[in-house]
Amino acid sequence: MTKDRAASLLFLCTGVYGFVFSVQLPMGRWNEPGPGVFPITLSLLLLIFGAAWFIRGKGRAREGGEGERAERFAFVKNLATPLKIVAITALLILAFNRVGYLIASTLYLFILLLWVSRYRVIVSAALAVAIGVGSWYFFAKILVVQLPQGFLPF
Amino acid sequence: MEVFNPLLNGFMNSLSLVNLVACFTGALVGTIIGVLPGLGPTVTLALMLPFTFKFGPTAGLIMMAGVWYGAMYGGSTTSILVNIPGEAASVVTCIDGYQMCKKGRSGAALALVAIGSFVAGTIGIVGLQFFAPLLGKAALAFGPPEYLAVMILAFVLLSNLSGEHPIKGAAMTFLGLFVSSIGMNPLDSYPRFTFGSEKLLMGIDFLPLAMGLFGVSEILNIAIEKHPDQEYRKIRFRELYPTREETRRSVGPILRGSVLGFFVGLLPGPCNVLSTFISYAVEKKVSKTPEEFGKGAVEGVVGPESANNSAVMGAMIPLLTLGIPFAAPSAVMLAGLRMHNVEPGPMLFTNTPEMFWTFIAAMYIGNLMLLILNLPLVGLFGRIAVIRPAIIMPPISLICLIGVYSVRNSMFDVWIMIISGLIGYFLRKWKFPIAPFIIGVVLAPTMENSVRQSLMLFKGNPLLIVGRPVAMTLLAVAIAFILYQIVSSLLGKKIEFQGEEPG
Repeated sequence: MTKDRAASLLFLCTGVYGFVFSVQLPMGRWNEPGPGVFPITLSLLLLIFGAAWFIRGKGRAREGGEGERAERFAFVKNLATPLKIVAITALLILAFNRVGYLIASTLYLFILLLWVSRYRVIVSAALAVAIGVGSWYFFAKILVVQLPQGFLPF
Repeated sequence: MEVFNPLLNGFMNSLSLVNLVACFTGALVGTIIGVLPGLGPTVTLALMLPFTFKFGPTAGLIMMAGVWYGAMYGGSTTSILVNIPGEAASVVTCIDGYQMCKKGRSGAALALVAIGSFVAGTIGIVGLQFFAPLLGKAALAFGPPEYLAVMILAFVLLSNLSGEHPIKGAAMTFLGLFVSSIGMNPLDSYPRFTFGSEKLLMGIDFLPLAMGLFGVSEILNIAIEKHPDQEYRKIRFRELYPTREETRRSVGPILRGSVLGFFVGLLPGPCNVLSTFISYAVEKKVSKTPEEFGKGAVEGVVGPESANNSAVMGAMIPLLTLGIPFAAPSAVMLAGLRMHNVEPGPMLFTNTPEMFWTFIAAMYIGNLMLLILNLPLVGLFGRIAVIRPAIIMPPISLICLIGVYSVRNSMFDVWIMIISGLIGYFLRKWKFPIAPFIIGVVLAPTMENSVRQSLMLFKGNPLLIVGRPVAMTLLAVAIAFILYQIVSSLLGKKIEFQGEEPG
């Protein structure tokens, strides 16, 4: 599937979803429109523009040939890193309430510094602790943000 | 027109410690983050939004404006020193700025850009101070049909100017408007697409969406891109002095860029990016030595940089007078103001004029602060400019997470940010413009109200809009623009703006 067609699916799916659930909303009358009018109009527009882009993407895929395939390959090859970062961040969010901000953020920073920034283990650990503790102090003590404590007393 | 007394009062208010601290912090942080490659004014503003809560609405607005034009200035540093634009509006600065650096004139280029930005900022504020109250007064006569027409025209222009294809821009606009329709509807509080979830009842908050689409997606982008190590060349203070010839050649471009940028800033779309391209073209056209452009012409550096700083002030006018943002950074500003329970629009000048005038006065002070800050700290900014983006990525991602969490202490918002960050990453890679989406999100409630109120006003007959000349004219311009695009596309003379998405 080309990037254009993949993108158009996002709009088409949102359009279908919007349409299916909008028709269940009160539509009102022309002189007194209900809460369903705005989303159903948008859903239809999303369907129209999504379809237009899908059709255009089909034509471009035929024209693109090798170039399009190479671009797609590079895109898929590069996909692992952002997905890993999102996965690590998702783990941090899940761990947030259990282990608290201080530990979760320090571990999160350590993994990213080691793996994305490519620092040595000792440097990553030192920076993670410094930034983790520093940010905790800044947010929790100076800005008085209610951060999850986890099992720690602070 | 009475201007000086309210302005004087504004100066009295803005010289309070809180406002001065807000102004200084905004300008400094804006410049520092703006210096970092890839992180432009929109990301910086989104990152700083949660922190403005610590200040009141006036100080928050001052801080955000300081961040905005601090980031605009910061973008030029990397362009001149390392040939990497800090944000889209600094792409043009790379052409001659880096050539000046190679000739050993980087200090002079940075100093002239700082002075140019100061002059442009000041001219922009004067324009804002005079035009905003006038337009605000005129906008008092606007009803729902006029607001609707302004928004339709803005979306048409935005869809066309923001990306590589109008269909992409339009689809992103509709997606933004649709996402914002999740939750209770603004007129009769009817729940939509909530599936019984209490969290969705209040809708999807703007901040996590903006942080995700601009901040997180940029972080993901930074993580995969190869950034070669840049060499830092130390700049001594005495190198900041431009020669008499360089100064003489800069006066005209700075003044032209300032006036041009201000008026381009009034247009919907990536106005600051557009202003730099237009300014560069104008300077090359009026120059007696156009052959020097591309080889280190000082006019090609100071003109566009002045234009983009002045455009920031121009873009404030539709935001403050109509409450309608025409560009992504103004959309973030609007969301920030709403978070402080301030609704910009014509009533701002009648209900809270002191806020407007304090803001104007603080802009003068902030502009001066930025100049004082920029010249001696050029060396520091130069060092920041060569930091590998992968190194600053982890702390920035942590700031995004905590920033979003701290606003409502909500993990739901953090999840929204991550998901929208991933979607934003794909959309950027597929070259879909983010600005129309984000402006759609922020304007959706106003647009829905305008649509429904207009239909009620016209008793269900939309053709009655012919009786509203302002709305009719605006709609006619929008329709003419769409027709022009279709016709020129069919004739194979499609005009495409190839500017990058402002970050």
